[in-house]
Amino acid sequence: MSLFRPRSSLKLYKAATSFPTAVAPATSRCISQITSWWSKPGSESDFADRIQSTEDKSSLVSQESTPDPFATHQPDYSARIDHGTSTFSPVPKRVMDGSEPEENVAAAVLSGAPVDLQARQVRIYRPAKTATQSGTWHSHHWRMDWDILQKGHRWENPLMGWQSTGDSLQGTHLNFKTKEDAILFAQKQGYEYFVQEPNERRIVPKAYANNFLHEPKPLKHIKTK
Amino acid sequence: MVINPTYLAQTSRSSTNWQAARRRVLKSYRAWLRAVRPSALSPSSIKWPTRMLIVFPLGGTQAPEIQQMYSLNMPVSRIRTKVRSEFEKHRYVNQLDVVDVLLFQSHSEFQETLNYWKQLAHVMKYFTAEENPRARLPKDFISGFLEGRN
Repeated sequence: MSLFRPRSSLKLYKAATSFPTAVAPATSRCISQITSWWSKPGSESDFADRIQSTEDKSSLVSQESTPDPFATHQPDYSARIDHGTSTFSPVPKRVMDGSEPEENVAAAVLSGAPVDLQARQVRIYRPAKTATQSGTWHSHHWRMDWDILQKGHRWENPLMGWQSTGDSLQGTHLNFKTKEDAILFAQKQGYEYFVQEPNERRIVPKAYANNFLHEPKPLKHIKTK
Repeated sequence: MVINPTYLAQTSRSSTNWQAARRRVLKSYRAWLRAVRPSALSPSSIKWPTRMLIVFPLGGTQAPEIQQMYSLNMPVSRIRTKVRSEFEKHRYVNQLDVVDVLLFQSHSEFQETLNYWKQLAHVMKYFTAEENPRARLPKDFISGFLEGRN
């Protein structure tokens, strides 16, 4: 067998960028914005221009900055089939064929990975800190995870009751040092990806002396008796 | 001790420009067509740079015969169609490095097939779309939904 068929593939599809807003609560996920292949995430002023707020000003709706000829948000039922296609295979939106702009290496074309991988969505995130402990070492890297399949995700084995799955990537994840590494990998392989920004811990500096500061108005809360 | 290279081994090389890549692709395609010859299948992953003209060789049958080797039950024309479709799959690649790697993969497939390193299953992988009724995508949303696909 050839030694040069790594397991990569597919085309990147969505780039999710985070736009911190004043109204967003601290624990909310960042808003994803669909951008085109070659448009870079805009500055804050571009973002302000593209926002279309709803009537009650409660949500933010942003539009694509430039119409992307490669971007089709409909599944492609005539996509090519390879030996890994099965009744569990999701339908891809676009299969990488090397004709994309040359920013990214078309690794999906070379890898020999199943075309199904280009149909599945991938999440790039930082794993959360274990809630029961204070150590944060395991939440420093970035992880890439595949969304589950609706149909072949998991079922009970009729003989022994074990958990069977039709998903070859079940429980698989890739680790990266930085978010940009993960995004470049997803773009190179033609995956549809979105980035989930981590919830950063907000440490409020406190001083005991503030309990005793003078306030001219009546105190809202009496801290000392 | 001298290590003799295997049959059809080729040193690694890269294309200097698109014309060189085009010549290499044509040479690879010709080799595949000649190796297919009366019989079955020839899986080929030869790649095709953009704007290339297709030149078919005139006759010429070489020694190795893929169809007879793997005892495939299909006419030569079907195999040659498959060779051609594998080439066409990569017609619009616009990166020379990718074309080089595809050429390497094409030649490695060629060598593996003609040295009989493959087995029937490996050769038939290229024909799953036609042979395997379960290897298909739904034709529209409703049929996919009724099948219960992902």
